[in-house]
Order: sequence, then structure tokens, then C-alpha cells
Amino acid sequence: MDANRPDLLDPASLAALGRLEVVARWVVDGFLTGLHRSPRKGFSVEFAEHRPYQPGDDLRYLDWKILARSDRWVIKQYEEETNLRAMLLLDVSPSMAWSGSEARLTKLAWAEASVAALSLLLLKQRDAVGFIRFDDAVRTVLPPRARTAQWRRVLAELGSAGVGTDTALAAAIKRAAGLVTRPGLFVILSDLLMDPDEVTSAVRTLRAVGHDIVVLHVMDPGERDLAEVGDAKFTDPESGDALAARGSDVRDAYHATVEVAIGEWRERLAGAGAFYEVVSTDAPFGTALRRAFAVRQRLP
Amino acid sequence: MSFLSPWLLALATAAAVPLLLHLLRRRTGLPLSFPAVRYLRRAEKEHRREMRMRNLLLMALRVLAVIALALAAARPLGPGFGTGHPPTAFALVLDNSMSTARVSASHVVLDQLREGALAALAEAGSGDRVWLVTADALVAGGSRADVVAALKRVEPLAGAGQLPAAVARAANLVRSAGLGARQVAIVTDAQASGWRMSAGDLGDVPVSVWAPVIGDVANHAVRRAAPSPAHLTPRGRVEGTVSGPGAINWRVELGPRTVARGTAKEGEAIDVPVAPPERGWTAGWIKVDPDELRGDDARAFATWVGDAPRLTVDAEAGPFAAGAVAALVEARRAERGGGVQVTSADALRQRPALIFAPRDPARLGLANRALERAGVPWRLGAPERSGSTVRSLDPRLEGVRVTRRYAITPLAAAETLATAGGAAWVVGGDGYVLVASALDTTDTELPLAPAFAPWLGALLGERLAADAGPVSEVAPSAVLRAPVGATGLELADGRILPVVGARSIAPARPGVSFWRRGDKRVGAVVVNPESDESDLAALEPAMLAARLGSRAAVTADVAQWQHRAWTAGQRPLMGPFLVLALLLLVAELLVARGDLAALVRRAEPAPVRRAA
Repeated sequence: MDANRPDLLDPASLAALGRLEVVARWVVDGFLTGLHRSPRKGFSVEFAEHRPYQPGDDLRYLDWKILARSDRWVIKQYEEETNLRAMLLLDVSPSMAWSGSEARLTKLAWAEASVAALSLLLLKQRDAVGFIRFDDAVRTVLPPRARTAQWRRVLAELGSAGVGTDTALAAAIKRAAGLVTRPGLFVILSDLLMDPDEVTSAVRTLRAVGHDIVVLHVMDPGERDLAEVGDAKFTDPESGDALAARGSDVRDAYHATVEVAIGEWRERLAGAGAFYEVVSTDAPFGTALRRAFAVRQRLP
Repeated sequence: MSFLSPWLLALATAAAVPLLLHLLRRRTGLPLSFPAVRYLRRAEKEHRREMRMRNLLLMALRVLAVIALALAAARPLGPGFGTGHPPTAFALVLDNSMSTARVSASHVVLDQLREGALAALAEAGSGDRVWLVTADALVAGGSRADVVAALKRVEPLAGAGQLPAAVARAANLVRSAGLGARQVAIVTDAQASGWRMSAGDLGDVPVSVWAPVIGDVANHAVRRAAPSPAHLTPRGRVEGTVSGPGAINWRVELGPRTVARGTAKEGEAIDVPVAPPERGWTAGWIKVDPDELRGDDARAFATWVGDAPRLTVDAEAGPFAAGAVAALVEARRAERGGGVQVTSADALRQRPALIFAPRDPARLGLANRALERAGVPWRLGAPERSGSTVRSLDPRLEGVRVTRRYAITPLAAAETLATAGGAAWVVGGDGYVLVASALDTTDTELPLAPAFAPWLGALLGERLAADAGPVSEVAPSAVLRAPVGATGLELADGRILPVVGARSIAPARPGVSFWRRGDKRVGAVVVNPESDESDLAALEPAMLAARLGSRAAVTADVAQWQHRAWTAGQRPLMGPFLVLALLLLVAELLVARGDLAALVRRAEPAPVRRAA
């Protein structure tokens, strides 16, 4: 493992080294270091392409050199100089404040660190970043801003879990949609322990107006594979729903069911036009950055 | 299936533990915070049947594993693929009766049986206990080497032995050994006469019999040899019979001489008149030419030779006594004058005397005074008139009817020769024989019986006149009751064995021995093989098995017998049961961990995608 790439370090170990702000900086710096070594050479390329001149086009963008050499009238097209507007939606419901092992971060801690790093990365690109926290209701709303002070505001909203008894992701999506008037990027970090129909519908609506959506399904490894436990009363910390079972008895069936559920989420969200990825809390923070950056690269 | 430690089967009750856990399982454990309860609930709902089947499979595997362990702990025996044999109490019964001394196909049958027995003993291990029981029910035990050495020393008996008793003794030995596996193994020529009797209740002891097929031999045998009368006074006859195919050459030897030779066929009587010059006890033989079975080619007999007894018959004894004595005198078996007094009790003067009760009850007192004067330790009581039948070891008295008899009371220890109606009727002692009825048809049918005169002659000649003592014919090694006062038993080779106690053992070889009281011979013991030991016909295997109980198996195949002798068709199954338990536990582990389901899933063919 490269010591200069904090984005690839174990998240729990990295989080233990400093405050969220510091960790986020390390992650972004590491991420950008890796990015500059990439043959793609960055993402801020001004010139895009040529196209044939059409009457009414602004003559300032006419490529005079081509006209002089080959007597062809072509217009130079440039990347839009205006930065992307990104909204980060963080699920802070009580189910997120859970870890299957003391050696791992809770889902919420992992997601908050990812939000911090992602917002810093976007702001460094001069993109506007907005932030929404939600549980059974929208708790925090920060409209998109491209100023450096925006990161401080995002950080100030992190660090506290929700208290709701449900997860109102659809309501959060609708609220975020109202803050971004032109096509932008929505990054959702949630454990998706909720009804998929309403979420799918909201995502589909977002996509319909041209937004790109990245859904990062945050899961603790203990949620994918049930631990070896005897008779236990499993209680949902969010809804209070309880079920008595023997871990060894249901382990296989549980694993199969979780895989089916992940497949359903993947199918539904892909059908709605969203990018879906399951991220594990034992995965490096760079994972979330790469997923979001991959989508960001495809944006105009 | 049987078990060496059946009490450990109680461990199988532990199989109820997983069953109870399955049935009574309370699915409430420690509270556990777990956000994905919705997936758990969905998993239970969608995989209910699969999980139930899995739980049932786990329960069945655990129950079966416990049962398999309990069965293994109980050390089961049964048919199967186990190896070796468990520690076994093994009693080998070797039939060395006289018939096994015959030569068949140039081999002595006993040697053939011995070879099979040695091969069986070779399989004995250090954990086994082994014994050798011969046909005479004698036991040799110890280490395998000791038993093998004893087996090699075994010689054919001179008689039939006691095979059923030997088997019963072998069964008792293995039962008392305290080992779980028990076996009585028998090697025998299956001679029908040797297995006429059942071995009795052998319980649950398995019996395996090797009875090889033995070729027929033409056996000539002397089946009977006896003097008539038993005491020659001094004339008489030697009678006998022989058996076997064709004409059989025979000869009669009496004392140092061969007194007659001849040829006879089976069923023909040998009847040789003799009048030997010797006096006293003499041994004799009837012999035939040697053949494949030598043990029955000669048969011994003994007789006492003496002068004819002298008799005095009193008129009070009645006409029947007078008539019988006259017949004896005429046949030169008795002479008149002195000697033994044949009389009524009321006319008794001296001993030796044959005494009858008085015909007139009024003379009862006179009779008792005469008995007292003569030293006869019996007294006559009141006459009883009731019909009864005589019971006696003497066949000449057996079944005689008695209509009136006197009650007789002994004053000292005395010998009862016959009873009537349960009470003493004929008693004898030193120099006297007393009959408790008058010799008259109003009292008894004895004087009318055909055997009356022979009985009277034998009584006078053998008991009262000479007091020669008894003669008995027994099988080799039989138990003998010594005559009163006997001090020793003079064997055929001249050695004298002292008599200790009332019982002695007859010599193991045929011949004549004599009871001795000091220097005087007071009786004879004739040892001969049992007559039917010369019948060499073999018993059918099924019949032989029936004689040995429900757990007996008979075979002529020595290899099959040796296999069954040590395993009784059963092998230790502890190993297979342990392997089974291990396999069940491994399967339980795989099912519990889900590895088995994963294996099954991997083995299933991949689903075929349909083209859009």
C-alpha cells in the first residue's frame, strides 16, 4: 500500500489518525496524486470539438486557422466553464450508526468521512457542492456553493446521528431537486434499509430532468454475512422491529436474501438511470471518490 | 446383532437431547442490535421450507450420531465387514469317543478331528480364554500353548464317553468366563449313538460343530458276553452276540484258556457250555478278528466258579420251595444236605438261610424269636393284605404281585433288595435273605413266576452259599459303588487301587477288575465299551443341531466351521459404527456451516439464459 495514498488506506485506521477535516484532506490529496499520474491528464480541458458553421453562430468562435488552410468553416466548441452543481445526500438514520465490529467504522462514520472528502474534492474542482442530511425527515440543507467556505459548513453539519424511526430518502431527493435547477450530480450515501419503490420513483424523477445520480449503498460486512451467533433477539435500532432467531440456522438464507436484495436495488436503480454501487465500510474512502469521479467525468 | 457391553446402550438415551433441543428450543437469546432485521425476516419467510428441512436434517444427523456412538460404545457384534474377533471364551469339545479310533481312508478319524481343532486353536489371541473338553467331560485349560499340548496328547477313549455332558460343561465354562463373546466349538464324527441325548439347555451360548464326512467301514464287534448263570457252580454257559457284515470268527477265552472258537453271523447267539476247573473269580473274553475299529473287537466278562451249594429245605417253607430246590438239585446246581437253610421264619435255626414269612400269622411271635436267635436284624410285624407290585433292581423280581405281606422292621442297617407297595419286601444281610411274605400263592405270585427257580438258584449260589460278592458291568471310567467292606480294586494288570470312600472310578480300559477285602476277592467289575458304540452310523446334521439347541450350527466344511467358531458369524462392529458416527458428525458440521448446501449448489448445472 502506498503511504502517500491515504485514500487507499483502511478507513478505520485512517480515521483514528485525526479529525474528520484532516482525514478528508489526506484522502483528497492522495486521490489527486493518483489522478495526476493518470494518462487522462485531468478533467479541466477547455477545447471540446469542431462542428460545421451554421448561420447565426458567433464568429468569435470560428476557427480562422482551418479556414485559412483548408477553406472550411468550422466552429470551435469549448467545455462549459460553469462548474458542476453537486448535491451530497447523507442518510443519518439510526440504522447507519451501526457497526458489526469494533474494528470497523460505523456506516455513518464511514459515510461522513466520504462526504467530507467528496465535497472537498468537488470544491477543489470549483464545483458547487450542496449537502443534505436526513433520517425520517430532512435535518440539514446546505444549498450548493462553490466557495471554499462551503466545505467548512459541510463539516459543521457532520458528526451527529439522526434520531428518526424511518428513512425518508425520497423526501430528501425531492428537497435536493429543488435546490439544483439545471442538470447536476446527486450522490446519495445510505444503507437503503427502506422501501425501494418510493426511492426508485424519486430517482427516476431526478433523472428525467437530466441529473446524474450516484447511489452508494453503504453496508457493513456484518450485514452481508451474518456473524456466527447462537440464539439471539435481533432488534432493528431504527424501527425497533425484533426477530428471534439462531444465527447458524438462518445464516445461509440471510446471505442469499441480502444478495437478492442488492440485486433488486441494482436492477431498480439501473432501470431508473442511476449508478448504483455497494460500498463496504471496510473499503478505503477512495472507493466513494472513484465512483463519484467516474460519473463526474462523463458530465458535460 | 449382539453386544459385548449392552449396558452402554443406555447412552443412546442421550439421543433425546438433540431431539428435545429441537422440539423445545426457545429462540430467544441475548438481545442483539442489528439494523437489517428486514432482511432476516425476509430470509425466514422466503427460506422457511429450506430452513425447516435443514433443521430436521441437522437434528436427524445429531440423533443418529449419538446413537451410532452409543452402539459403538456397546461393542456390537454382527454380520458385516468387521475384522478379527472380540475377546472370546472358547471351549473346544473334542469327540475322542471309541468310534473316533477307527481307521478310515488310511487315517485315524481322531487325527483328522485333531487337525481341524488345532487349526481352530491357532486363531486364538491373547485376549481369549480357551479350554479343551474331551468326550469324557474332562477339561484342560490355561494358555493356548497349554491347550494345544493337551490336544496333542488326547487318545481315543475305550467307550462312548459323555458327549452331551461334555458340551454342557463347555457351555458352563464359557458362561463363567466373564467375557462377552462365548463360543462352544465341537469336532465330532457325529456318531448317532454318541449324540442320542440332548446337551440340555445351553442358553445363549452359540455352538458350532464340525462333523466331517467319514467313509463307511465294515465293523465287526462283540456286542454281548456274559456267563449264565453269573456264578458257575461249577458248570454253566458263556453267551454272547456279535455284529458286522458276513461271517465273523469268534473265540471264547476263560481264564488262561481259549475254551471255544466258531463263526457266527450278526444276530446269531454264541452259546458255549463251560465247566472250568478253577474256583473263585475268573475273567473271560469273547473276541473277534481285528478290524478298522479295534476297541470293540473283544468284550470281557467275569464269573465266580465254585462248587454247587448245599441246601436244606424245611417243610415249613412250603411245597413251592421244595419243588424249586429239587429242580436245582436235578440240574446239578445244588446238592442236598447242610449248607443253606431254606425255611419259614418260625422254623429258622441258623444262618445262612433263605427265610420266608410264616404262612400262619399266629406264629409271628415264634418267628421273631427265631430271627433273634439266628442274629437276623429284622422283625416281622402285623400282616397287611393289599395288592401291590414288586419293584427291584433284579429283573426276575420286578413286577411280581404281592397280596399279603408282613411289615418288617430293621434293627440295624440292612440292604433292601425289593419293595412292595413302597415298603421293604425282600431284604438281605450277612448270611440271610428275608422275604416278607410266605412262599404261597395266597401271599404272592412269586412261586408261580417263571423266574422263581433261577432267582432262587442265583440267590443260593451267589449270595447265601458262597457269598462271592456282586459283579457289575460298567462303561470305562464310570463311577462305581464299592461293596461294603471292600478295601481295594484289583486291576487287570495286578495293581490294587485302594478304595477311599464309597465311590471309585472304573478303569478307563476294558477288562475285569476285582473288589478286594484284604486278600479275598469279594466282587468283580467288568469294563466294556457301550454296546451301541459299535454302531458307526452318523447323525444327520440337522438332527445333530437339534440335539445342541437353537444356536447350534453344524457343517462338514472345516474352513466354514473355523470361521464361525470364532465369530459365530459375527464380527466386532465398533469400528464401522465409529466411522459412521464420524461421518455423521462431519455431515452435521457441513450442514451447520452451509458447506454442504454450497457443494450441492456448485454441483448443479448453470441455468441456461434464454435468448431475448
